[in-house]
Amino acid sequence: MDFTFLCSGKPEPNGRKVAIIGAGPSGLSATGYLACAGYKVEVYDKLPKPGGLMVFGIPGHRISPENIARGAEKLEKEFGVEFKLRTKICGSEPMHEETGDDMAYTYKSLGGRVEDNDAVLICTGTWKSRRMEVPGHELPGVYSGLEFLFPVRAASYEIANMDVPEIKGKKVVVIGAGFTAVDVVHAALTEGASRVSLVYRRSREEAPCGSMEFNMLEKQGAVCMEHSAPLEIVGTDRVEGVRFAPCVMSEPDEAGKCRLTVQKEESFVMEADIVVTAVGEMGTPPFAHDLGLDNVRKGDVKWLQMTSLDSVFVAGDVLMGPSKIGKAVYSGLKAAKSLDEWLTLKDQGRLDEFQDEVIRREDLR
Amino acid sequence: MQTLYLDYSKCIGCGTCESVCKFVHTHPRIIMTRTTDGWWVPLYCQHCQNPKCMKACTNKAIYRDPDTGAVLLKQELCAECPTKNCLMACPYVAMICTGARKAPITKCNLCLDRGGLGPACAPMCPCDALMLVDHEDLDKVKTPEAQKAYELVRQHIICPECPTS
Repeated sequence: MDFTFLCSGKPEPNGRKVAIIGAGPSGLSATGYLACAGYKVEVYDKLPKPGGLMVFGIPGHRISPENIARGAEKLEKEFGVEFKLRTKICGSEPMHEETGDDMAYTYKSLGGRVEDNDAVLICTGTWKSRRMEVPGHELPGVYSGLEFLFPVRAASYEIANMDVPEIKGKKVVVIGAGFTAVDVVHAALTEGASRVSLVYRRSREEAPCGSMEFNMLEKQGAVCMEHSAPLEIVGTDRVEGVRFAPCVMSEPDEAGKCRLTVQKEESFVMEADIVVTAVGEMGTPPFAHDLGLDNVRKGDVKWLQMTSLDSVFVAGDVLMGPSKIGKAVYSGLKAAKSLDEWLTLKDQGRLDEFQDEVIRREDLR
Repeated sequence: MQTLYLDYSKCIGCGTCESVCKFVHTHPRIIMTRTTDGWWVPLYCQHCQNPKCMKACTNKAIYRDPDTGAVLLKQELCAECPTKNCLMACPYVAMICTGARKAPITKCNLCLDRGGLGPACAPMCPCDALMLVDHEDLDKVKTPEAQKAYELVRQHIICPECPTS
């Protein structure tokens, strides 16, 4: 990925400095834009390599990590971008515990970044997995999609203090039908699980990942079970199985809505050594409250993608919720452009001219 | 004689190409599409050797750039066209309706307006699936997997009875 697609080489420095927090797709795209505009950019990330979930979440057969590394290397060597890896940025608010935090060696404050730079862009993504609130979800052997995928990918960078799930010869049950679930099934098969089952409460035609992925996983040896909802995760001191109940879709009611009925009396237990609940991720923005992120989402701000702290901008999944790489890239590029325009007008003392500009919600998409 | 080439067997449907195109050109010219079985694929102008859009255009607004071989659009001629036949003619949905009066239709121009930087989408592809190639070199980059994936995409976008060009 060549993030500097907007220019042919390093431009004359414009004397401005920005810090970008998070080296995922949106952070790196913004870095490329700003580097091409002559900024001195430093990029912070808690992980040991740039790329974010493109490197540490999405399997290597989908996105080659070398492709991302090449892009980051070009930013560093040709454009003088400084990568400060294994560094997590924190603030006064209590920290969230997120996947990958234990890879950070250094902690630095957001306040310091704001003081040292002309502007800061936060692109920290969505690193907290949604938990499935069924009895037994806290048993050892139950993972979220990210908790399962991250160590498998990260182990190649750091084996020492990584809690990698032992997968070989195990029976793995994956709940969910998004692309994360598909990647988990794929990783489990590759790591030599004896049996991998994908369970979804609706039909494959309704699955977010599409029926084609289901058919492909079946060809690769996974068992796909549709119309089954998890009731509880069973086990005494670690997971032993999952109790599922068949789900039946009712005929459409007057409003045209179909209801999903869980037939609890017909429940059954599926044996499992590892259960992965891939039911989505959430954003854990640092200092969400201080920055007024809800207002940014509604477009209720002074400047496009600027938070309630002057000169602090935000982009990517952390703002819009988990989405596709493309959306993150677009958000990063737009925030970078907005940041550049804001600093330019500020330098010219012309910000007042634009204070009545209306920011529409559509502008964020 | 250049064209954009997408290896559908490498593409994961992340939509980066569409986003980058949208950022550079406002109206994206490479469009994410979802097949009935849930596969996300970008559709884009193939700068065909025998372009159907060019034949369908009643105003002769679509022409081939003599230097690069890219199929381009003359906006002034296009704006006056009452038919917009090109929208229907292109099997790859690569003629984009903008809704604007002055430039009602837009299409991929291989980013010729970017001052020699080349297409913006290709270098940003996380999967190395998009590239700018010479028509003559197409056979060299087409792998059997890519060809198989392309045929699958074709089955979704082109009716089986349609004559192939």
